[in-house]
Amino acid sequence: MAEELLRRTYDLHGRDFDKAGEVATTIKRMLNDIGIDAGIVHRVVVIAFEAEMNVVMYADKGTMTLFLTDADIGLEVADEGPGIEDLEMALTEGFSTATDKMREMGFGFGMGLPNIRKNADDFSIESDVGVGTTIRTKIRLNSSA
Amino acid sequence: MKDGKASVIPELCIDCGSCLRVCPTGAIQATTRSFADLDKFRYKVAVPSPVLFGQFPMAISPAHIVAGLHCIGFDAVWDFSAELALANRALLEYVDRWKGPYPLISVYCPVIVRLVQVLYPDMVDQLIRVQLPRELAARELKRKYSEELGIDQGEIAAVYITPCQAKTISILAPAEGGKSSLDGAVGISDIYNDLLAHAQAMDEEETKKLLEGRMRSGELLRWSISGRQRRDLSRHGYMSVTGLPNVIQVLDDIEKGKLSNVEFVECHACWGGCIGGNLAVDNVYVTRGKVRRLMSQLPDHDTTLEEQVDRRYPKEDFTLKGDVKPRTVGISTAGLKDRIKRKKTEEAMIKALPGLDCGLCGAPTCETFAKDVAMGQAQKTECVFLSDKQLERLRKIYPCGEREAPEDGS
Repeated sequence: MAEELLRRTYDLHGRDFDKAGEVATTIKRMLNDIGIDAGIVHRVVVIAFEAEMNVVMYADKGTMTLFLTDADIGLEVADEGPGIEDLEMALTEGFSTATDKMREMGFGFGMGLPNIRKNADDFSIESDVGVGTTIRTKIRLNSSA
Repeated sequence: MKDGKASVIPELCIDCGSCLRVCPTGAIQATTRSFADLDKFRYKVAVPSPVLFGQFPMAISPAHIVAGLHCIGFDAVWDFSAELALANRALLEYVDRWKGPYPLISVYCPVIVRLVQVLYPDMVDQLIRVQLPRELAARELKRKYSEELGIDQGEIAAVYITPCQAKTISILAPAEGGKSSLDGAVGISDIYNDLLAHAQAMDEEETKKLLEGRMRSGELLRWSISGRQRRDLSRHGYMSVTGLPNVIQVLDDIEKGKLSNVEFVECHACWGGCIGGNLAVDNVYVTRGKVRRLMSQLPDHDTTLEEQVDRRYPKEDFTLKGDVKPRTVGISTAGLKDRIKRKKTEEAMIKALPGLDCGLCGAPTCETFAKDVAMGQAQKTECVFLSDKQLERLRKIYPCGEREAPEDGS
């Protein structure tokens, strides 16, 4: 088990479109400051942003936790919200339950979860309908998926 | 700022020139050319940025300004409308051929190139690799004058009249490496007073003669206003962004994937684009108004120019020599554990600071000061809130004359 060097937790707020994306930016700045490779930072930022948007669009509230070890970066996003009924569908590119309003704002094209999975080295998702969803991802520091 | 003197971390500097604007005593000077440097050339050609023409009172026409440039020592003045149009055509072709990743980022502003190299190393490939119009102009004018005058190209100086210091640096040390075809740059503010004096000294007869045949269309001026590519790129997802904070916000959004469907962003570090450059003289909005008025007095198109562009386009090479690479900042020499430790020190330091960004320690913000402390480049006692002695020390560095103490009750 790799040693955990840094852990940060950020609060996410459902339907807060105004501030949506700020956590992803905070994470990016921090990883840049630490001097993580730009390609890795880019993937973490995409994952963080998509996960953050999912919480903003569908859930009531949630948290994003970043774990940094000497081997990888872990991102865990847990929310309290409606949960996902059909996980397999949700992971299909282009599938979306977004409303027209969300689409008008430029979101909800059904690329969120597929994009997260694509950018992560490890990916898992658990969801309880009516309770919430938890996504766990890992990006290895020496990988370039 | 250390002991009253500014210091620069070169690898972090993106040549934005903000220091020039904010220095209260004007001690920071732009690296531009002096006329003495240029004396070694036999033939000196000015390549004025279109911005120059919007800097003067309306009574002073572009023709006056061109005449003024001759008066102050230039042998010729090069109107680079043709090169602007050529580079634009090459750029459109580049955008059409590009298969991604998106968006492409314009390179007209050298600060943006360096910003991407430092802050968005992953997007470096998206910087457009097409020669800049001013470079094409220098190449063409040297070819032409060398042929016409029968002198060596090395004896001809191509001097850019620049609205900002960043373009000077991009001429002296291009981001892609290699060597610029230009031989230097002179700031608009350096020659403004001379040009103004010459233009005002001209009598009516001279003026009338001048006004015949100069500047055949508004083409050149169109390029001084940001968003200049709007017309040609509207079918692509095109966006024009000015002002460094705005550019950073937009590039951040692009990096996260928040902004998609943008295929091309034209970014300028200065508000309003190059007309807001730090070596420009007039206010950006005033200049924009003047440029628009000048344009309205000139025809939109110039057929001779279009013919020239059609003729030259197939023959010229627009590829950028050398390559633009990410510029890594030298913080990664320490191991990951040490870097994280440093980050934690920085975060603890931020909590200990008042967050007022008073600047008395010499760092612009409490956050940057915390970074300096974590990097070992500053001591936490340099904060006036954390050390009583610091204020005394500062009083000695910045003497502030005798002041009358306010009287009670007055």
